[in-house]
Amino acid sequence: MSSVQDTIFDIIAKEAGIDRAKITPESTLKELEIQSLDAVQIIFEIEDHFKITLPDRDPNFDTESVKGLIDAVEKLVAAKAATPPAA
Amino acid sequence: MRRVAITGMGAISAFGNDAPLTWAGMRAGRSAIGPIANIPTDLLNIKIAAEVRGFDPAAHFDSKRIVFLDRVAQFALVAAREAVAQSGLEFRASGLGERTACIVGTGIGGENSHNEQSQRFYGDKNPRVHPLAIVRVMANAPACHVGMEFGLTGPSFAVVSACASANHAMAQAFEMVRSGKVDFAVTGGSEACVTVPTIKAWEAMRVTADDTCRPFCKQRRGMVIGEGAGIFVLEEYEHARRRGATILAEFAGAGMSADAGDIVLPSADGAAKALSGALADAQLAPADIDYINAHGTGTPANDPTESKAIRRVFGAHANNVAVSSTKSMHGHALGAAGAIELVAAIGALRDSVIPPTANFIDADPECDLDYVPNTPREKPVRAVLSNSFAFGGLNCVVALRRI
Repeated sequence: MSSVQDTIFDIIAKEAGIDRAKITPESTLKELEIQSLDAVQIIFEIEDHFKITLPDRDPNFDTESVKGLIDAVEKLVAAKAATPPAA
Repeated sequence: MRRVAITGMGAISAFGNDAPLTWAGMRAGRSAIGPIANIPTDLLNIKIAAEVRGFDPAAHFDSKRIVFLDRVAQFALVAAREAVAQSGLEFRASGLGERTACIVGTGIGGENSHNEQSQRFYGDKNPRVHPLAIVRVMANAPACHVGMEFGLTGPSFAVVSACASANHAMAQAFEMVRSGKVDFAVTGGSEACVTVPTIKAWEAMRVTADDTCRPFCKQRRGMVIGEGAGIFVLEEYEHARRRGATILAEFAGAGMSADAGDIVLPSADGAAKALSGALADAQLAPADIDYINAHGTGTPANDPTESKAIRRVFGAHANNVAVSSTKSMHGHALGAAGAIELVAAIGALRDSVIPPTANFIDADPECDLDYVPNTPREKPVRAVLSNSFAFGGLNCVVALRRI
């Protein structure tokens, strides 16, 4: 399990108050019965943890499934690492 | 039971700085949503709102007074001056102010002053906070300044129920006039909530649209923040009739309920309870209602739930009643929403024109009522309901009847 996946599982379990063992990369937030306000909080905690901004309603990013979230975060973290910090 | 007349109306909105401009914009079906111009947008993802434009406080207040007034109180005063002037009542000179309530709703209160002082303190590291910060920020300030301006010494307070604040305030004022506790009320709502932190907070909740506001339509992407105020003069009906006042409409009833369920997700049961409560309170049947000014925020959650509630209460007549959301044009002015929308309700009653739901593209199968898409409609209007359903599940529906 990648560290990104590990962190995202932790955040989902904590924010939605669900058993971490129920979460798989293939789950959608809907299947995990995560309410919209919990989903918004999960996105916020992920953004805050990784210091990234997840796109809102961008068709190129899937933020409906756990795998989609992991991919999006990995992509954004890699993009951030490739950009040198402002002087 | 005593009846209650509306004898004065004032407003300020994205359409302009008075009630006639506000109604003319809605009546024409013109959306006043546009790029945010009053605050920096470099940190914002959502860059649209329905702002009050070209408002110069110095044109309305002298410099000694302005220091006391947050934008939210300025809006309330400008609208109140218009409403009181139209009513023709001299509250202070005639002593009527002693028999007058002043109840003004706001969702957030002095947000601009709060933001300015936070910026000074945390941002600019300036340890001195303005000595009038407290009296500018307090949510009851709009009610207080309106009361002070006109010498209203009856019951006065603010009502806070997020997006239902104005309707709850007006319902309370109506009850006081009807019961005889007072003979007059100056009431409504005011909001000045377009600041960088509030827009960021709405963005974070992911309920605001980045294109425009399209209530009840399949392509809707959420709400668009608005601002402004609406203030009305309520008067015991016989008093208004005896003095020959122009009665804009009868304030016929109000229905209130709480979902006591979810803090954000609305319930059709709660909305239906407020709708049927307003009808019963006004002694109106569903078939008497020709127009419903919907809460109609344009969010995924509100619009189908509100449609379901209307269908449940109106039964077969649901297909005959025109339902529109003027938020498609003046945005969602939160604690002022119900007051700005009462301008639409009064305009529809007086002009026999239904303001449309603007920006409408395709129907959503989950929203199956007549939303008067895009084009205003001429139609006789005998009675109107105006809905406000707030976060927290707080619902207030008001009923007006043509005189």
